[in-house]
Amino acid sequence: MSGRFRPGVFWGSGVKWVSVAVLAVAFVVFALLPRQSQFLLHTIGQPFADLVAIPLEGMATLDRDMREWWMQYIALQGLSEQNRELRETVQQLTGEVNRLRAQALTAERLAALLKFQTDESIRTVAAKVIGRSLSNWYQGVILNKGEEDGIREQMGVITPAGVVGRIVRTSGSTSIALLVIDPNVAITGMVQRTRDEGMVQGTSQGRVRMKYLPPLSSVKEGDAVVTSGLTGGFPRGVLIGEVSRVEESEDNLFQTAEIVPTVPLRHLDEVLIVVSPRSPDAMIPLDQALVSPGLQNPTP
Amino acid sequence: MKISVYAIFILFLFSFQVTLLHSLNPFGIQPDLCLVIACLVGFRTGQVRGVLVGFCLGFFQDVFSAGPFGLNTFTKAGVGFLAGVFAKNLANRASYAAFVPIVACSVLSAIVLLLWSRMGMGLGEIFHGFFSILLPQAILDGLVAIVANWVIIRWLVEAPSA
Repeated sequence: MSGRFRPGVFWGSGVKWVSVAVLAVAFVVFALLPRQSQFLLHTIGQPFADLVAIPLEGMATLDRDMREWWMQYIALQGLSEQNRELRETVQQLTGEVNRLRAQALTAERLAALLKFQTDESIRTVAAKVIGRSLSNWYQGVILNKGEEDGIREQMGVITPAGVVGRIVRTSGSTSIALLVIDPNVAITGMVQRTRDEGMVQGTSQGRVRMKYLPPLSSVKEGDAVVTSGLTGGFPRGVLIGEVSRVEESEDNLFQTAEIVPTVPLRHLDEVLIVVSPRSPDAMIPLDQALVSPGLQNPTP
Repeated sequence: MKISVYAIFILFLFSFQVTLLHSLNPFGIQPDLCLVIACLVGFRTGQVRGVLVGFCLGFFQDVFSAGPFGLNTFTKAGVGFLAGVFAKNLANRASYAAFVPIVACSVLSAIVLLLWSRMGMGLGEIFHGFFSILLPQAILDGLVAIVANWVIIRWLVEAPSA
C-alpha cells in the first residue's frame, strides 16, 4: 500500500477495531429490534434528507435541462417540441374524459337511487421529481415536497393522465413515492365498463396487474381501469391504465388482468400529490348519512 | 480537510446517482455507485475506511430509499469491510483485480436485501430478480469498478511520482 493511503494516528490504534465492533453491535441491534432502530435512524436521517435535497434539486434541474436541450436541439428539434405539447394535451384530455365519464356514471347511478349530491373535487399539491430510486429493486421517485407542505405517508400521487403511485416516506422538504409498477404498491381499482373491482398491484417485472376480478366478469382487452376510491389516498375515477391481457388465476377462482399504465412513468417531471381525496364539503357526517331517508348503505 | 473532501464527494456521488445516472442507463439497470465506491475504498485503503465510507453512503441511500431504513447503511458498511479483507489476501492490485471482489460484494448485498425485504417473493419472482436485476447489476458494478480503479491507479497513485 502506498504511503498516501497510510491511516492516520487516530485510525492506526485499536480505535478502528472498536468502531468496527460498534457497527457490528449496531447491526445486531438493527436485526433484533428492526422497528425501534428504523425509527431512530429515520429520525437521525431527517436533517440529512433536507441537506441533500439542496444539491439534489440542482442536479435534477441540470438533468432536466440537459434532457430538454437534447430533445430540442438534437432529436428532431421543432417536431419534438410540438410532439411534447400534443402528448401533454392528450394526457390531460384523456384524464379529463375519464374523470368526467366516471363522474357521469356515478352521478347517474346515485341521482337515480338516492338523489345524492357529491363534489368530486380533490385537493392536491404539485411537486417536482428531483430524483429516481437508488436501487434497481424499488421503482420510486424522490419528490421536492415533504411534511412541511402537508405531505404524509400513504397519500396518492397522480398526474392529469392518471395514477403514478403512493407516498411511502417523508422528510421535512422531500418525500419518496413508490410507482404503481412496484410490487409494494396496491390500489383498489375498478374496470370502468363493467364496474368490477379488484386489487391493482405492481409486479417484480415492472408491470401492473389487477387481481381478484370476479370469474364471471366480462373484462376484456382495452377496458379502462380506474381507482375505486375505496382505499385512502386516491379519489374515485382516476385512470390507472388499460387492460392489455386477461387470464384466469391458477386456482380458477378469480381472473387477473394485465394493465398498461397510462402515465409515462419513466419520464415523470411533475406530479400532483393528493392531500385530500375528497373536498371536506363533499363529506357527509356519519350520523347525517345514517338518518338520510332511504340511505341504507352509505356510498363511499 | 480530508473529512470535508470525503463529505463533498459523498454528496456529489449520491446526487449524481439519483439524478443524472438514471438518464444514462440504456438497459434499465443502473450500477450502484455507492456500493462500488464503498468497496473500492475498502479495497484500496483497508477495511476500516471501507466500513466508514460504506456506512455514510448507505445511510444517505437509506434516507432516500423506499426500503427498510438501515438496510443499506449496514450492507454498504459490510461490503466495504469485506472488500478490505479481500484486498489483504490479494497479490494483484491491478485495475481488473477489483472485478471479482466487487461482483461478489454486489451479489451478497443484493441477497441480503432480498432476504430482508422480499421474504414473500415466489420462486418465479426470485428467478426473475436474479437474472434480470441481481446478475446484470453485479456485472455492471464490477465493470464500473474496473474503470474507477484504473482511474485511481492512473491519476491518484501513479501521477504524483510521474
